Amino acid sequence: MPSNTASSSSAPAGSADSSASRTKSKRPKYSKFTQQELPACKPILTPGWVILTFLVISVIFIPLGVVSLFASQDVVEIVDRYDNDCVPTPARANKVAYIQGVSDKSCNRTLVVPKKMKQPIYVYYQLENFYQNHRRYVKSRSDSQLRSVKDENQIDACKPEDDVNGRPIVPCGLIAWSLFNDTYALSKNNQPLTVNKRGIAWKSDREHKFGKNVFPKNFQEGNITGGGRLDANKSLSEQEDLIVWMRTAALPTFRKLYGKIESDLEKGDTIHVTLLNNYNTYSFDGKKKLVLSTTSWLGGKNDFLGIAYLTVGGICFFLALVFTIMYLVKPRRLGDPTYLSWNRVPGGGR
Amino acid sequence: ELFRCLAICHTVLPEGDESPEKIVYQAASPDEAALVTAAKNFGFFFYSCMLSCFSVTESTGKVTSLVRKGAKKITLSIGDGANDVSMIQAAHVGIGISGMEGMQAVMASDFAIAQFRFLTDLLLVHGRWSYLRICKVVMYFFYKNLTFTLTQFWFTFRTGFSGQRFYDDWFQSLYNVFFTALPVIVLGLFEKDVSASLSKRYPELYREGIRNSFFKWRVVAVWATSAVYQSLVCYLFVTTSSFGAINSSGKIFGLWDVSTLVFTCLVIAVNVRILLMSNSITRWHYITVGGSILAWLVFAFVYCGITTSRDRNENVYFVIYVLMSTFYFYFTLLLVPAVSLLGDFIYQGVERWFFPYDYQIVQEIHRHESDATKADHLEIENELTPQEARSYAISQLPRELSKHTGFAFDSPGYESFFASQLGVYAPQKAWDVARRASMRSRPKVPKK
Repeated sequence: MPSNTASSSSAPAGSADSSASRTKSKRPKYSKFTQQELPACKPILTPGWVILTFLVISVIFIPLGVVSLFASQDVVEIVDRYDNDCVPTPARANKVAYIQGVSDKSCNRTLVVPKKMKQPIYVYYQLENFYQNHRRYVKSRSDSQLRSVKDENQIDACKPEDDVNGRPIVPCGLIAWSLFNDTYALSKNNQPLTVNKRGIAWKSDREHKFGKNVFPKNFQEGNITGGGRLDANKSLSEQEDLIVWMRTAALPTFRKLYGKIESDLEKGDTIHVTLLNNYNTYSFDGKKKLVLSTTSWLGGKNDFLGIAYLTVGGICFFLALVFTIMYLVKPRRLGDPTYLSWNRVPGGGR
Repeated sequence: ELFRCLAICHTVLPEGDESPEKIVYQAASPDEAALVTAAKNFGFFFYSCMLSCFSVTESTGKVTSLVRKGAKKITLSIGDGANDVSMIQAAHVGIGISGMEGMQAVMASDFAIAQFRFLTDLLLVHGRWSYLRICKVVMYFFYKNLTFTLTQFWFTFRTGFSGQRFYDDWFQSLYNVFFTALPVIVLGLFEKDVSASLSKRYPELYREGIRNSFFKWRVVAVWATSAVYQSLVCYLFVTTSSFGAINSSGKIFGLWDVSTLVFTCLVIAVNVRILLMSNSITRWHYITVGGSILAWLVFAFVYCGITTSRDRNENVYFVIYVLMSTFYFYFTLLLVPAVSLLGDFIYQGVERWFFPYDYQIVQEIHRHESDATKADHLEIENELTPQEARSYAISQLPRELSKHTGFAFDSPGYESFFASQLGVYAPQKAWDVARRASMRSRPKVPKK
């Protein structure tokens, strides 16, 4: 005789109040869904499965980590901080006054190539302690204005950089106003290296976010100049520096693409950089760095992914070993009824 | 077994005060009193059992209140008539039996069952599963929201504490509505630690509910730690590894790219966690987990693909496509959820091995048996055997209006009840059949 199940099954023969009447059974219609008897997988995390999972993870992750690390190690990167050195010695006592002044801001730097760098070589500027992710900064833009001319007057979010004497600024907002304006001219062995400044912004930005018919107007005409100026004859979709700058960075330390060099650099080459140190990072203790970097299929020089994969794979392998040893040293038989709490301690348990 | 029998005792009126030691039992039949007192000596107290009183109307309600307030235990009372309504209402859990004596008890009750014998199922199977499911659902809800919110919290440290949101508004709003809602519903509906027949075979598993082993502070602390760990992994791994160029064209991610990537890793990790915490995984689990992740992706595709004039300034146009065009995205998507869940996986493995719950041992004992429940339902369409036909005929005889005879073990109703529980056939008592056959000539007493 089968024992009662979860459903209100018909009574087994012999009980007094049987509702097994075929004519008037009140038993609800049976369905696997409502009776919660759907076929199910009931995984039990036995030690075997635990060890197997760890091994599988380590087998997958360690090669991925090796591959990622190789990709990152192949990348050659030159980083040069110039904001302190490019202030002439007499002005170093008051850098803010220097940078806001009208003196000549050009500066010469020398970089040495440590390893052969294959083209394209990307030129970045890196800023530190610059909070492009500050709330008031991030919302200070007008995307509709950037896209089309007819929305030129949508400047509500852009305060205080929204208009000049009643005329709307295009592009408005603090993000555009603080456009980075240091320039770099590179040369190798007295031959100038052309830095290609096209194609540095994401295509979606260039084609959809910044209109082809929108031209800068009344830009940087206020009392305080926040950054670079824009050529009023070039439409916004061609102003790739602006486009790159306006894709606000996630963290206060970030780098942005300046341009790319399309020739190789050999090991030991000396690169001369003539830069214009225009941008004021001195009033907030920011840092400026010039970066030259090659890329791999995984991107720039960032060992984190590779190291993370290797570490996790290694930890999993180590844990698999530890669990195997524990299993051999201190085994617990699966389904051992002596572990039931009512068998171990009378009336006790967890 | 013994205690289960005792649990169905009749008219045992505990009298006494707060301390459990001092309860004195009064019973209409000496058998019951003896057994109940004996049970007390085993530590199995009678407050958490049924008081099934068919006697005076108000006193049963008062008795229940006495037990409930005085002994401070959870009380359950069960009855089927209008006289039981006060008792049902006075207890913590009131169960009404629908049937012979009308629906008043059912209407006043918290749970209604059709036959008295379904009480075992109600308590040991459904009650237990319900406790397990509620604990898991509540813990999961707090966990997933804690993980989600903490990633934003870590971000505030790097925005100059200006309060900049990490995620796009719609992603944030729909996180709880679309992207993580369905799997936990399925968990709450279908979760079972052991099957129904095993639940009844091991009634001691009910103790886990009495001891509140699934919702202690320790359990909450473990879930909270897991949420903190996972949020740190999702946030730190992505923000650290997305610095600099992320594909061969040297381009750089912006704020919304990074946050959408963290969000994707989070949705995947939090949804797959359901599979880790389920003891029984049906196809609905797979459908809802996979479906939620898919819903997120589809939503991202649509949302990031359109621009309208009503867009806000910080929009995420094209972000998901930009992300998916890099190898870095896929590498991160494999690494981050795996590392997030690894902590929980290790914890579960260690816990099951060294500190197993009772239900886990029961699962292991019966791990090779398949569900044999389908066979039971085939008898619906079967012909009745001669035995069954005879018992059916007997059951058609008029019954007593009140089942109470004052005898704990010699009454026909009980014996056949226990027999059916054990799967043993108990023949009708001759004197009982004769008694009921002689009632045939009496007109039926109208129901109260």
